[in-house]
Amino acid sequence: MSRTHWVLLSSSLSLMVVSVWNLHATTGLGAEGVARAQLVWLGVGGLLALMVSVIEYHTLRRLAPALYTMSLIALALVLFIGKRVNGSQRWLDFGAFTVQPSEPAKVALILALAAWLAAQPRPRGYALPDLIPVAVIMGAPMFLIFREPDLGHTLMMFFIGATMMSYERMRRKTVVGGLIAAIIGAPIAWTFALKSYQKERILTLIDGRADHLGAGWQSRQAEVAVGSGGLLGKGHGLGSQVAGGFLPENHTDFVFAKLCEEQGLLGGAFVLVLYLALILSILYTAMTARDRFGALICLGVAALLFWHVFMNIGMVLGLLPVTGVTLPLMSYGGSSVVTTILALGLVFNVHSKRHVF
Amino acid sequence: MTYLASEQSTHAQRLVRFGVVVALSFCALFTRLAYLQTARFEELSAVASANYTKHERLFGERGAIYDREGRVLAENRVAFDLLITPREVREPEPLIEGITPLLKLDRLGQLELRELLNSSDRSARNHPTMIARDLQHTQVSALEDLNVKVGGLSIQVKQQRTYPEGEIGAHVVGYLGRPTLKELKSRDLAPSEMVGRFGVERLYDNLLRGEHGYRRFVVNARGQAQHEGWAKEASDEISTLKAPSAGQDIYLTIDSRAQRLAYEALEGYESGAIVVMDPRTGALLASVSKPGFDPNMWSGRLTADAKRAIDENPYHPMLDKSVKSYFPGSIYKVVTALAAMEEGILDPEQPIDSPGAYEYGNRVFHCHKRSGHGHVDLNGAMAASADVYFYKLGEKMGIDTLAVYGRQFGFGEPLLKINGESAGVVPTRAYHEEHSRGGFQHGLSLSSAIGQGAVRTSPLQMAVAFSALANHGVVYRPQLLLKSAKLKMSLMEGPPTDDQAAQLLERYHPEVIRRLPASAAHIQRVRRSLERAVNDPKRATGYRGAASMGRVAGKTGTAQVKTIVRGYRRLAEQRWEHRDHAWFASFAPYESPKLTVVVFLEHGGSGGKDAAPIARKVIEGFHQEVEPIFESHARLELFSGARR
Repeated sequence: MSRTHWVLLSSSLSLMVVSVWNLHATTGLGAEGVARAQLVWLGVGGLLALMVSVIEYHTLRRLAPALYTMSLIALALVLFIGKRVNGSQRWLDFGAFTVQPSEPAKVALILALAAWLAAQPRPRGYALPDLIPVAVIMGAPMFLIFREPDLGHTLMMFFIGATMMSYERMRRKTVVGGLIAAIIGAPIAWTFALKSYQKERILTLIDGRADHLGAGWQSRQAEVAVGSGGLLGKGHGLGSQVAGGFLPENHTDFVFAKLCEEQGLLGGAFVLVLYLALILSILYTAMTARDRFGALICLGVAALLFWHVFMNIGMVLGLLPVTGVTLPLMSYGGSSVVTTILALGLVFNVHSKRHVF
Repeated sequence: MTYLASEQSTHAQRLVRFGVVVALSFCALFTRLAYLQTARFEELSAVASANYTKHERLFGERGAIYDREGRVLAENRVAFDLLITPREVREPEPLIEGITPLLKLDRLGQLELRELLNSSDRSARNHPTMIARDLQHTQVSALEDLNVKVGGLSIQVKQQRTYPEGEIGAHVVGYLGRPTLKELKSRDLAPSEMVGRFGVERLYDNLLRGEHGYRRFVVNARGQAQHEGWAKEASDEISTLKAPSAGQDIYLTIDSRAQRLAYEALEGYESGAIVVMDPRTGALLASVSKPGFDPNMWSGRLTADAKRAIDENPYHPMLDKSVKSYFPGSIYKVVTALAAMEEGILDPEQPIDSPGAYEYGNRVFHCHKRSGHGHVDLNGAMAASADVYFYKLGEKMGIDTLAVYGRQFGFGEPLLKINGESAGVVPTRAYHEEHSRGGFQHGLSLSSAIGQGAVRTSPLQMAVAFSALANHGVVYRPQLLLKSAKLKMSLMEGPPTDDQAAQLLERYHPEVIRRLPASAAHIQRVRRSLERAVNDPKRATGYRGAASMGRVAGKTGTAQVKTIVRGYRRLAEQRWEHRDHAWFASFAPYESPKLTVVVFLEHGGSGGKDAAPIARKVIEGFHQEVEPIFESHARLELFSGARR
């Protein structure tokens, strides 16, 4: 086992342990037993990842279009028969549990995009028309997720895809064209695509949270939870913001605030270091991958983790608007946990095949 | 499929580029994290502790108001309100179904309730909302049963002020209301607290209102008190309790039987006031104003309809007419008579010619009796209320001299400062120069002498003035507060000993404002003329005020509000607000007065015909039902009179 492999494994396992331990202190207000459930999801994810990590490379590549299509079907189904919670329709209800198809859809996108890009090497760089198929591959799930509506995951899809594209070489015209499209597209998207609550969340962040009971309320409570944690925290399960119920969603989207309130800067920094180690070791795996397909998969997974961590923690710390983006492994929730571990399984697969030619 | 040769070199570069982006982003996150947890630690810790610290005001119970003998005028009773906390409701539809017949909800009420239960607003869901006030006991028990099934209902117990005497004591006892924004700023009050708005409730609010206490404790986001787990340390640190203290019970000089008697005596008249005073102390035994209002409603829930009915009532129920000032008319002649004797310009036994009219300057001053009274002495002039007799005194004295005596009686100044008491007007030359069109004219001395012109007095002031005549010259401040109890008697074990009672009770004593600056003989001379004004067999204008069981002294007043052309003076033909004010001021028994009764009927007609009989009813009723004031042999006369 190489050193990289060891860092990859130990950082991801550490995050899982911290996650369960952190959730273990969650008491009251309808969140009992989440630690045990999280443990179950981690186990399920682990088994799936084990399976994924031993599948033959080429098989994965062949399966990519099928997996991608299935994810699109699932996303379309959500729009018709999905379960409605808080005004958006993001879950498929299987009775015993619910699944959020936008989570596995990210892995499907990574595979599909990696397979497509690996098959279309363009040594002289991408021209604008070459981007059309890429835009379609990214755009289809993005559109469906946006309709749920789920701005967070739509952006996530875009960031993952864009990061993977950064691996490719672009012609100068393409870069300029892309910039122009962004400049023209942004105000149009703001006016026509965003719902008023989404705009409010963004504006709230900009104008310094004037309204503590409205959109900025959650964000403000998270900031208070983190800040009042201090250097060493208030103690396991003793955070007044979390245990007193002042910070909602403290075991899902705002789980990092819980950690920081209870474990302080020490705990928060420790988890940041674990994430950084995990992501960098995945990037190192990409460097040593035996082919473009493997490298792109690793880059995609690294992007998935990085953007999730950055957007989630940025939101908790009041740097970014409130979007329902989970913190991988740390946030409670089956879809997110299983997807993340599955993605890590892909990285292990790529790593283990690095010397096979 | 391996890397193309041309890509091999850039492969690592691009991955490293993203790695740098990742590393820098993490640096930013770490910096922000460290900033929040170090630089802003103090500030955000304070916010966190403000989140879980609940500071709850506790209110001391308001003191009760009793009459002089301990009969209840205002007290607190327990009232039950229904609150609903939406997030605790388990079954919304059965709740609405169950609650509808209990509260007699209409369709709109049901709709509003359903909207509340389905609300998605965080604070509306977490906090109890008031649904119904002042429930019956049967409703409360039915609602408690319903709550077991559906959840989310809670009953709040609170103190509700009640006034068993209702509108009879409305003006003097008063009512409560919520503090205004201005009061919230200037006094230590809570928005939910009731404060005295009117009457004694307002005048003695400081005695009646208890002292606030408070309770500080740890709560979770739903406002529930927490002591264990995360809250333990904070709870130990901040939990405090300061018990509130109850307000004082007060006893008024008012006698609720006299109060009822006076209110009922006004039956048949739309608007007026009666003041009953003990002339020996200035204690107010009754003070009524008509029309009344229901203070229970004003201190509780005033419906829009009831409010409109009161606003649109032309007789202004919310004014306390016992302390508003009006033209006194002929009653004011007592001031003129006493002043003239003191100034040495009047020999009361010397008959003076009092014709039906008196020419002065370029004006003719009429007597109310156009045929005049011939030559009359003071007794005759007072009994017949001969205007010209007093015009002449006014002319000789001048307005300023008259005003000096007027003020000595207590006119022209507020005496009790209750219910926006008017000072009234004791006009002087300077007053007219300032306020009258055309300035001062000498004719005003004449009209002032018979209580017209600009003279204005309140029934309360009149009671003080007549009490001063009754008690031979002492001007007492009207007394309303008899005693106050510093501790609730009910909280003590067993009846208090005399010593304890003396310590616990504070007694308030009569306050002498001044003595009339007049000789005893002159005061007595005015008293005698007042006795004649009721009892003179031939001339007395106030004969209807005479009581059957003893001698009453008094004076009628019929104050012109609007000059009316002769021949159109029939009462029924005039609009109410153009009719004369009717007054009767009296004391009894004449020999040793124990009661002063002033009757004022706003636009009520004639002092002799309308006001005097009412005073008689009050005096006789007081003697029979409250406390005998006439000597017993006088009572025997009553029986002989009844037989006749």
